[in-house]
Amino acid sequence: MITISGNYQLAGRSEMHPASAILYDTGQVIIQHNNGEQITDCWPDDYQFSDVIPGLPVDLQLADGALFIPSDSGFRWPQLTSQNLLAEWLESHWLVVFSSVLIVPLFMWAMINHVLPGAAHGAVAFLPDSIAESMGEQTLYLLDKTQLDPTELSADQQQQVTQLWQQVNTRLELPKDKYQLHFRKFDLGANAMALPNGSIIVTDDIVTLMEDDPNALIAVLLHEVGHVEHKHSLKMVAQTTATTMLFAMMFGDIEGAGELILGAGTGLLQSAFSRDMEREADEFSHQNLPKFDISPAAFADAMALLLNSHSSNNESSEGSDTDSEFQNTLSHWLQYLSSHPETKERIESAQQAGKTE
Amino acid sequence: MENGLSKDRTDTIKFSGQSGEYFKLWFVNMFLSIITLGIYSAWAKVRDTQYMYGHTQVDGQSFRFLATPMQILKGRIIAVVIFIAYMILSQMNPIAGLVMALGFLVAMPWLIVQGIKFSMRMTAYRNVRFSFEGTYGGVIVHFLLLPILGAITLYLAMPWVVQQIQQYINNNITYGGKHFEQKTSAGQYYIAVLFSVGIALLGGAVIAGLGGATIATAQAGPSVGLVIVGLAAFALFGIVSAVYQSIIYNHIMKTLSIENVVSFDASMKTVPFATLMLTNLLLLIVTLGLAIPVVKIRTARYIASVTEVTIKPGIDELINTVEGSDSAFGEEAAGLFDSDLSIV
Repeated sequence: MITISGNYQLAGRSEMHPASAILYDTGQVIIQHNNGEQITDCWPDDYQFSDVIPGLPVDLQLADGALFIPSDSGFRWPQLTSQNLLAEWLESHWLVVFSSVLIVPLFMWAMINHVLPGAAHGAVAFLPDSIAESMGEQTLYLLDKTQLDPTELSADQQQQVTQLWQQVNTRLELPKDKYQLHFRKFDLGANAMALPNGSIIVTDDIVTLMEDDPNALIAVLLHEVGHVEHKHSLKMVAQTTATTMLFAMMFGDIEGAGELILGAGTGLLQSAFSRDMEREADEFSHQNLPKFDISPAAFADAMALLLNSHSSNNESSEGSDTDSEFQNTLSHWLQYLSSHPETKERIESAQQAGKTE
Repeated sequence: MENGLSKDRTDTIKFSGQSGEYFKLWFVNMFLSIITLGIYSAWAKVRDTQYMYGHTQVDGQSFRFLATPMQILKGRIIAVVIFIAYMILSQMNPIAGLVMALGFLVAMPWLIVQGIKFSMRMTAYRNVRFSFEGTYGGVIVHFLLLPILGAITLYLAMPWVVQQIQQYINNNITYGGKHFEQKTSAGQYYIAVLFSVGIALLGGAVIAGLGGATIATAQAGPSVGLVIVGLAAFALFGIVSAVYQSIIYNHIMKTLSIENVVSFDASMKTVPFATLMLTNLLLLIVTLGLAIPVVKIRTARYIASVTEVTIKPGIDELINTVEGSDSAFGEEAAGLFDSDLSIV
């Protein structure tokens, strides 16, 4: 027989009294006021216990909803089964905790870097073409409404690019009718983009920029075809959906500063996916340029041209050596924010591909 | 001997959760959720909330979280299925996504009501549950129409709008069938905004001046200056949001009560709160997020320590008016779509 002091909390009402519970070996429990007056008398069938939580008392829950709450938060009722105590044991056992702290981040890393991308790539193969088709059409429609304007290139200029484009189609033996080239004016400068249905958009500025270097333009077009052939848009959708789900599932209840960090994390991951896809498209371009008797180095030329055109309004700053070193480190870290790999890296790998070819 | 009160009793909220203990609980639960492919996450949520509630004591008594894991699991499964459908559809087919987003907008007020209702009804203090009596129409007015009004007045009416929203929520929370009464004044919200904007402008000017000087004079050149400016801006951001939040939190607490049952007071100070927020953020960054449970405990402990509750004699005579069989769908869906609300 043991006596436990605590509080008796009435069922369905706020009234409560200091009380003690007398527990007999038979499992019978008598709850009484501190003056000895009996409140209730119950048997194992009439009561159960609340969840066992570290640092908290375990309540005796009576069938009618009344509670007996021990004052000693460390007290554990002798009738508690190992099943009742399992969760608390796991949560306080150092080996389990240690493995968890190790495995949880490892799991996140594996999911994000291997499992989800793998699953996303697998799933994309099963998606019907009609999805890519409507996704591309609608994206082009939205882009036309928001960021793109009709081209202002002369018929001559368009004709030149169209010829290059036809070369690309025939040499790569691309399926007929799948790919379409679109000319558009874009205020943010020289650029090209690929939509999942095979629509390739070249901006007026990139055409003008590469007018004298058709090899560079072919390299860019191949890069865009690479995006479509690898189904990058669809993979991106699948991968982002899956990671957002994972984050929401695992950290759904987090608010405030934590939420800020999670948001940043998701953004960084998305950029990382995007960088991987850019590299894959670059590689596609490197591999296919030789079919046109062009060295992969042409891709490096294209990158250099684009770099120049975009940085022409950014002054280059002079500084001491330590400063430029610092800036290198800074830009090294900043590239985690970028959706594209560093241009220098892209140029180098194209040159590398040019040498080994 | 009766425990009845003859006069008011005032004390701060006591939070007894321990960072180390909760860190272990949090990680083990996360681990169990992973190896059960997410199923255990419902149990994890229950244990997690029970820990936080159980360690929060007012007048010597803890709060209780009464939801069962099965309730949470069911809600979670339905919400996840809808969420996946929404994500995929909205990205595959932007126009269908738009239609679905509209449908979602229609369902949103209902989800908000259900979400708050569920978390309130699953919260009990001394065997009496809380509840929420907001309505679909009320939510439309406060969460849709008023913010639109705030925007078209070039945000001049926004402090008033925020005040109305928070007052609406708190006025509709009940405990033992009795309504909380929230009597905030829009003036305090304007004062909070003016203070924060003032400090932001002042601090911004100082940082700009300082940054300009550093960049011009520093040996190491512009980048180091940029980093200093960045850190200063980071600190300023923490201070400004702490100024706003401490003024508003204190005001909300001072004007919240249930007649003859409970009233509140709070004395959150800007500097300690800003320090807490900034150190939390740093902890999260340095540990790559591993410190999440520690941050939660630190925050809960601080907020409890600055909040005073006065318990009045009527507390002993409350009768529970709420059954506990609600669906967790609204709460889970609102959580997934990130529209759940913090009450304070």
